[in-house]
Amino acid sequence: MSMFEDIPVDVGVIYEGERIRRKNMQVELGGPKQETKFELVRAKKMDEVEDEKITIIGPDLKDLAEGSSVPFGIYIEIAGKNVEEDLEGVTERRIHEYCNFIEGIMHLNQRYDIWMRLSKKSFKKGLNSFTHIGKVLARLYKSELPFIEKIQITFITDPEKIKEMSKQALEIYEARDAKARGMKDEEVDTFYGCTLCQSFAPTHMCVITPQRYSNCGSISWFDGRASAQVDPKGPVFAIEKGELLDPEKGEFSGINESIKQKTLGAVDKVWMYTGFGYPHTSCGCFEAMAFYIPEVEGYGIVDRGFKGVTVNGLPFSTLADSGAGGRQVDGFHGISIEYMRSPKFMQADGGWDRIVWMPASVKERVKEFMPKEAVVATENEAKTVDELKVFLKEHSHPIVQQWKEAPVEVTPTAEGEEAMEAAAFPVSTATVAAGGFRIIFKNAKIHAEKVIIKRVDKAKR
Amino acid sequence: MVKKGLVVKAKELKTDVALVKNLELSIGKIIDDTWDEPMGPTPFPSMTDLRDWDFKLLQRYKPFYLPYCDVCCLCTFGKCDLSGDKRGACGLNMAAQQSRIVLLACCIGAATHIAHGRHLIDHLIEKYGRRIPLDSGGLNIDVEAPVTRLVVGVKPETLQDLEEVLDWCEEQVTSCLSSAHTGQEGNNIDFESKAFHVGMADQVGMEVADLAQISVLNLPKADPEAPLVELGFGVADVKKPTILVIGHNVPSSVGIIDYLTKKKMLGKVEVVGICCTAHDLTRYEPSAKIVGPISWQLKYIRSGLADLIVVDEQCIRADTLEEAQKVKTPVIASSPKNCLGLKNRTNDLAKELVDDLVEAKVPGVLILDPDKAGEVAVEAAIAVAPKRKRFNIIPDLEAIKAAGEACGGCNECIRACPNNQPIPEAMKAAALGDLDPLATILGECVGCARCDSACPKDFSLHSFMIKAGEEKLWEEKFMMRSGRGSISDVEIRNVGGPIVLGEIPGVIAIVGCSNYPEGGEAVAEIAEEFAKRRFIVVLSGCAAMSVATVKDEEGKSLYEKYPGGFEAGGILNVGSCVSNSHIAGAAIKIASIFAKRNLRANYEEIADYIHNRVGAVGLAWGAYSQKAAAIASGFWRLGVPVVVGPHGSKYRRMLLGRADKKEDWYVYDARTGDRVYVGPAPEHLFTTAESKEEAIVMLMKLCMRPNDTTKGRSMKLTHYIDSHKRYFGVMPDDVHLFIRNKMDIPITMKPEILKILEEKGWKETRIPDPTLLKRMIRKRG
Repeated sequence: MSMFEDIPVDVGVIYEGERIRRKNMQVELGGPKQETKFELVRAKKMDEVEDEKITIIGPDLKDLAEGSSVPFGIYIEIAGKNVEEDLEGVTERRIHEYCNFIEGIMHLNQRYDIWMRLSKKSFKKGLNSFTHIGKVLARLYKSELPFIEKIQITFITDPEKIKEMSKQALEIYEARDAKARGMKDEEVDTFYGCTLCQSFAPTHMCVITPQRYSNCGSISWFDGRASAQVDPKGPVFAIEKGELLDPEKGEFSGINESIKQKTLGAVDKVWMYTGFGYPHTSCGCFEAMAFYIPEVEGYGIVDRGFKGVTVNGLPFSTLADSGAGGRQVDGFHGISIEYMRSPKFMQADGGWDRIVWMPASVKERVKEFMPKEAVVATENEAKTVDELKVFLKEHSHPIVQQWKEAPVEVTPTAEGEEAMEAAAFPVSTATVAAGGFRIIFKNAKIHAEKVIIKRVDKAKR
Repeated sequence: MVKKGLVVKAKELKTDVALVKNLELSIGKIIDDTWDEPMGPTPFPSMTDLRDWDFKLLQRYKPFYLPYCDVCCLCTFGKCDLSGDKRGACGLNMAAQQSRIVLLACCIGAATHIAHGRHLIDHLIEKYGRRIPLDSGGLNIDVEAPVTRLVVGVKPETLQDLEEVLDWCEEQVTSCLSSAHTGQEGNNIDFESKAFHVGMADQVGMEVADLAQISVLNLPKADPEAPLVELGFGVADVKKPTILVIGHNVPSSVGIIDYLTKKKMLGKVEVVGICCTAHDLTRYEPSAKIVGPISWQLKYIRSGLADLIVVDEQCIRADTLEEAQKVKTPVIASSPKNCLGLKNRTNDLAKELVDDLVEAKVPGVLILDPDKAGEVAVEAAIAVAPKRKRFNIIPDLEAIKAAGEACGGCNECIRACPNNQPIPEAMKAAALGDLDPLATILGECVGCARCDSACPKDFSLHSFMIKAGEEKLWEEKFMMRSGRGSISDVEIRNVGGPIVLGEIPGVIAIVGCSNYPEGGEAVAEIAEEFAKRRFIVVLSGCAAMSVATVKDEEGKSLYEKYPGGFEAGGILNVGSCVSNSHIAGAAIKIASIFAKRNLRANYEEIADYIHNRVGAVGLAWGAYSQKAAAIASGFWRLGVPVVVGPHGSKYRRMLLGRADKKEDWYVYDARTGDRVYVGPAPEHLFTTAESKEEAIVMLMKLCMRPNDTTKGRSMKLTHYIDSHKRYFGVMPDDVHLFIRNKMDIPITMKPEILKILEEKGWKETRIPDPTLLKRMIRKRG
């Protein structure tokens, strides 16, 4: 009754991560030795797809010389009532996952960079035709992504055919990326909510829009769309975005309703593009934390990978703790790296004009997406707030303009400040005065039952 | 934290602005309340403060008693036969007596760690002062001392802050122990609750001890890339004088290293260790070496490899001195808890001590000053080595053959063997000149030498095995990652995503002692099975050593093959016994880091969180000491299940859930207040496994929690079903109990599972925000 009884090898999640070394390899498909290789999924009309048809163009596995390396392509066409072009990318990435479920198949990378190996052991067990792989893929796809009603799969090892098809594939990847990058929150009716993290942080919900990735960096709007299609009642679900209440801050009536319901009222309003007021909440696994630095009125950003202390003297672990747990905390804002590539990034706060500091490694990752005129210090330019001030002035960061307009007095929080709570002083004689006077205590017995040392926060003072 | 009072008296005080006469200033208590986290409900909890929580757990996981002794002989009323439904002269029944013994074992275990902590902190304070700041992980840890914060509500910042925490621990052990007195507690569930309580105090004691040594001795601080160190019987250079340290409390070993460093002799004398002292020794100085876990003691001593032995405390063979004398190795005892009958020579001159040992005027000395012990050990070892010339008592082949011929096959040895090894058969083979069977037995031997004692002909059977396995022993050279200490906050943040997305199915903590039912290799096999499946594998103590002892075809140990970080497929050695607290600490930090739950004195809420959400399970494959009982007990109270090997039944009771009783498996949905059936997840709190295969399958099953996302559950089920099929050949018969909706079904097993669900009349349930505590229900709006 197994799903893969007719497949000569085992199929299961546990084979993911299986490594096949060259000496144990029957054949290598794609990979660094091959210039042309690709995998591609396309959405088609129902009548264009013959369900579970598997085609092989070029030699099959059994006809390839042992130990050889060949150019390779996988082309999958899907059809169904709910199949749409927007789901192609998400569907395509599953090729990697599903191929790796097959015992004796190693699949690495994606798109034009794929690299597959088949082990000698599995080949000997009878995994000697792409037909088997095709059957596994077709069954898993239809079982896991029910929007796929029909699927046909083509494996290509013919070099000429691959050349021709991979050229088309590259054009399609490019067009897909351009579309994804250009997609605006204004252009869609549906956002996605994700409550996966509620299993650990019961009051957190991520709102995923085309221009704001999930905090963990793992779920794009497209991923959300596919997940919600597959399991509409599941932890990733559609949110009708409703009325746009504030285009600058990014407040939508649909988001407010949804978050209110999903957090049982713990949060009832979210502004998507700001770290203040009603910021998007943070769970615990955000990729980076945007933290407000009052001394310069700008944001620093620090990611999980940064090992040192940030410009305000605190490391990621401490800053992260200030914003986590599904709360809305002014000035501590969990984000994904991808969100930094979005034009909506912290829009209401001034976007890149407000960003003053980040680790060099993060800057490197997002530099293509930073406006040319953006000025951001890293740990190499500024290690302290004072150094940061100098840097920002020297480089005429737009924030410096604002300092002049409204000088803000900043009270630094000193570590270990102590204040004594008043205790009763039963004193027999006491002359107390200040400045130029003398204080005389005689036979003074001072007893305090308890002295409690508390840190006084800025607001109280 | 509370500091003791302060009294200042001044007869006359004159300054520019003030004149003060006969001033008396006294302050009752100084409370440093700069920690802004609000105080939770149970600061410095007493024995009964968390009793309601214990009763909740014990209601679901009822104790199942396995008396392996039917009588009680603890008081002079007795012995009392408690079999059947009999009661003893004091009125106690069997259930209460068994749980009382469990409590006693846990008290002994907890007392051991806590006293270890006290000794260490007294010593460190004396040597370095009270104000040394605590630092367990530098910048990557914001929540240091999570167990202490959670249990007592204190955030320790300097060495002296640990003292009042230990005060509390000591008080708990005393109170719990007192309730085991005749005519005190009479109810078995209350005994169990007290065992949980002292287990909790044990976790605090362990954390305090490790935090102190990590901070002051600068051991690796939450370092995933802690140095690789050498481990194995054959690691020491036999040309150099060799000091062997055995035990669990590192100051005397530190004394040795410091003396060698001071004299610029590091590397000229081999310093090797057995048991947890070896862990902490290499955490302090990575060029030191580890012989192996506790079961290596006799092998190493009898082989004559040690020129001098320094013992500190815990898990040291009681006959160390006698065994050492046989091979002319002098012994230094260095702990007040383990004096071996030796004369206390702490105040004598080091030179006199060295001379007495070198000239064999005394078999050993007691030196309670760790630095002096270090100096004497080094100087004596250097002088003894050329005299001893590796003198050993391992018999030659002829002697073994002759013994084989003389062996009467009485089977006393096999009866005495805890692992039932076929020694008589091996002796028959030896008579014919074939030593292979004896060598095979050595591979599975836990080094207890009960066979030696049992033999009516006084054959040194264990030594025969050592000789037979000699070649393999000498090849024993492995690499182990030195104990890294705690898990950093950042590592925990990193795994949040992968856990909810199902990429990490769970955390397996393999801990405990090395009296393994199938030899140490089984532990390594279990660890690798989980690492391959992308679980996080956390190790400590002897288990961490055993895992190093298996090499792949390229000669690499698991520590070299898998990452040392708290991540998918990571294999982490946290360190010695007291480092076990970091495993609990990681689970506790999850609540703080992801849900921003307050930890401070908030035990019940956090235990409820961990029990319902954190898919962590402990395995003590070689169950053994009372400390192991206390460690397990600490995990039970946190709601973390523990699996023990077959010997574990000797702990006298299991805590087993009943999957067939549907009513036992309801939780509150904190969102709505509804009672929701969640299936038996986790099914048991304490259970045994008879084989490594059984252990693997059980561990996978016990990783399931009511909060699992569908992706997480489907992955956990995949591993559970796959391993069950692989090892037992069939689909487990309880799969339907773990499927809440169809999205939970493992992706490659859909048709067969859908069929089972249909046959079992399965109905979809929902995934709640699970809690056992009514007070955690959140009100709407």
